[in-house]
Parts: sequence; structure tokens; C-alpha cells
Amino acid sequence: MIIEMKNIQKQFGGLEVLRDISFGVDNGEVVSIIGPSGSGKSTLLRCATFLETIDGGEILYMGEKAAHTDESGKAVYVHHKDLRRFRSYCGLVFQQFNLFPHYSVLKNLTDAPIEVQHRSREEAEESAMELLRKMGIADKAKAYPYQLSGGQQQRVAIARALAMKPQILFFDEPTSALDPELTGEVLKVIRQLADEKMTMVVVTHEMPFAKAVSNRVIFMDGGVIVEQGDPRDVFDDPKEERTKQFLRVFER
Amino acid sequence: MSLSTMLSTMAAGMLRTCGIFILTLAGSLPLGMIVALLRKSHFPVVRLLTRAYISVIRGTPLMLQLLVWYFGPYYLFGLSIRGWRFPALIIGFVLNYAAYFAEIYRGGIESIPVGQYEACEVLGYSKSQTFMRIILPQVIKRIMPSVTNEVITLVKDTSLAFTLAYQEVFSLAKQISASQTSFTPFVIAGVFYFLANYVVAFVMERIEKALDYYR
Repeated sequence: MIIEMKNIQKQFGGLEVLRDISFGVDNGEVVSIIGPSGSGKSTLLRCATFLETIDGGEILYMGEKAAHTDESGKAVYVHHKDLRRFRSYCGLVFQQFNLFPHYSVLKNLTDAPIEVQHRSREEAEESAMELLRKMGIADKAKAYPYQLSGGQQQRVAIARALAMKPQILFFDEPTSALDPELTGEVLKVIRQLADEKMTMVVVTHEMPFAKAVSNRVIFMDGGVIVEQGDPRDVFDDPKEERTKQFLRVFER
Repeated sequence: MSLSTMLSTMAAGMLRTCGIFILTLAGSLPLGMIVALLRKSHFPVVRLLTRAYISVIRGTPLMLQLLVWYFGPYYLFGLSIRGWRFPALIIGFVLNYAAYFAEIYRGGIESIPVGQYEACEVLGYSKSQTFMRIILPQVIKRIMPSVTNEVITLVKDTSLAFTLAYQEVFSLAKQISASQTSFTPFVIAGVFYFLANYVVAFVMERIEKALDYYR
């Protein structure tokens, strides 16, 4: 398992956002998380990538504990120096891209590898160009984010996350901020990564995409996993009434 | 007094004006950043003190602050203030402008979307790398117009040094005008200030243009 999250609990000011959620992702697996807004999907991703701290439960990367609950019931994280290592295992692609506007596309991809991972400029730039070629935007290496379309910006963001060579890549509604005609190009590169057996967790509202690309679908509602399994089973033959109800909305 | 003597005396005064201007910027631009960061400190006492400092500085006239810095050591502690004129002047200006710059920086820092910090966190940047590499460059671009305003105000505020009888261009203009019963020194001072601000505006515009390569 790349990541394992056990009995995760998270509250925001008394509101329980995650209630005892457990899930894991195997090497090479592509998992889609679907569900209504406010169901805790994004929070789960933010806890997995250490942007939010859990209130209870356990997070393991590659079988190693990053956080656990102590005897008093409080969540304890490893020392922040070790946490940096755990952070390096995972990448996150945001809904709003969050590219660095003052850096060129190439520098967006190379700055962290050079400054954080202390890789050589030459190697970082070479692998960045390789990624940009894969994303079909090698010609934009010298451009600045504001000069790109939303779809291109999101592809840069995906490349920036991949440039860190993460073990697992999380996507937080990667196409929700895009015009419909631009979602296709982003979904295409995610699909391409899936074909290369990149381990990924995608929070999405793109049901046909989730069905076609993922090995497993998780339906979340009210801070719990209502149903999960093979995408064909979940989409075509959901067991839970709540899942049926949710999917019906998308069929219309 | 001939016009050329008047001009050369006042040009020497203008050099002193420039001295106040440069030292004030050199002190207050960095100090303002420290104050802005202290204002967001984790310690409530530090936050409270910085807010009190900013509030007092902004709530009282700069002229009064200069007098306090100059005469304070004598009236409060009975110290001699010989040779203290120029240091008091610079301290007064630096602490005053740092408070205003701090508020400009704070506004700039708070205007950076939280997503920028989150992207840095996920990419593993340390706190100082995040600030120096990602946040600060964007802050500088955003605050340039407000900083330009403040710097232009400073050029004119240097004239308040006359309250401590420091011989900068405005003090000299007043003295020469009184002794020669002439209006000309005021015209010369006006031209000097205007030219100085013309240069300031030009430089600031160039900096803004240089930062125009991204949005």
C-alpha cells in the first residue's frame, strides 16, 4: 500500500467532516472519489497531503506511520523534519491550479526540485521538459501562467506535481474550474498517467471519466464512505439507496 | 546675496534633504517588513505591542514625534542632547515611515491567495523559502503603487526637519528668505522638491514596468 488512512476523524468547529474514514491505495491503483459537495472528499485529500491535520486516526505512507492517535485520543504527527519526507511521497493538483504567477512554466516545474530536493538544475530542467512534452505543452516552457488557457495551466500544475516524482498523486476536482471544452485535455493527460500505472486518487464530478479510468470508485456522503468498489458495480448496480439517489441526478 | 550663492547654499541643503530621504528609506523599508511580520506573530503580546506602536505613530503628527525624539532624552532623563539632532531626526523618520510601510506590506501579504501557500506546502518548501521565493515577489509587485505614494510623501515630509532646526533645504529657504526679504528661496525650494519627486516617480515607474512581465 502506498497510503493507508485508518479511522480518520476531522472536525471543523464542532462540525464533523470526516467520521471514522478508512481507506488505502495500492501501488498503480487509480481511485475516484465521488459524492455531493460538503461530503468531505476534499478534506480527506487535504488530510492525506498534510494540508489539514486529523483529529483522530492513523496515516501511513509505504507502511510507515506519519500520524497516529495516542492513549489520550489525540492525533500525533511525526516530527516536522520527518513529515517533510512523508510530504515528498505525495503530490496534489488543486482545483484552482495555484501556479506561481511570477515564474515561467519551466521555473514552476524546476524550482521545487532544485530548491527543495536539491537536484541539479540541468537534470531538473531536462525532466521538466520531458514532462511538458508529455503534457503537450513543451512550446509553453518560457510562457507565464497568465498567458495560458485554464486547461494548459492545469496541465502545467499536473506536470509541476509530477516533477517532484511523488509516489502518489492526488487530484482535487481538477476540472471543476475549467470551461467544459477544456476539461477534455486535462482528463486526457490523467488517463494517460493511469495507463502508465501512476498511483492516483481523483476527486471528481466527471462520472464517465471516473467510470472509464479508475480501478475503484468511492462514494462519500456526510463524512463517511457510503459505498465503494469496481466502477462498473458502483455506477451500474449501486447497492446503497443514497448512492442511487446521487447517481440519478447525474443521469438526467 | 547673489542668486548663485543662494543656489549653492540651498543645493547643499538639498543634499542634506537627500540624506534624510535615503537614510529613512534604507531604515524604514526593511523595518516595516519586520513590523508587518511581528504584527502577525504567534505571541499575543508581540501583536499587541506592534499594533500599539502603529496606532500611536499614525495617530500623532510626525512633527510632534520629531520633537519628542529630540528633546525626550533631556526632559525625561536629563541627558545632554548635543550631537543628537541628526540621529533623533533619522530615528523619528524611520520609525514613522516603518509603521506606514508595515501596513502596506500587511495588506500586500494578506492579498496573496491562500492557494499559493498551500502549493508551497505540498511541494515541500520551508516557511522561509515560501516567503522569500513565492510570496514576497508577488507582494512587492502588488504594493508598488502604494509604496510610490509613500515615497513621494517622504520627499516632502523631509521639510519637517526644520522643526529641529536641521539645515536642510526648507530650513535654509526660510532663513534666507527672512534675512534677504526675498521670495526667491521659496521658488528654488519648490523647484528642488518638484525635481526630486520627478526623479522618484520616474524610478518607481521603471520598477513597476520591470515587474510587468506577469500578472
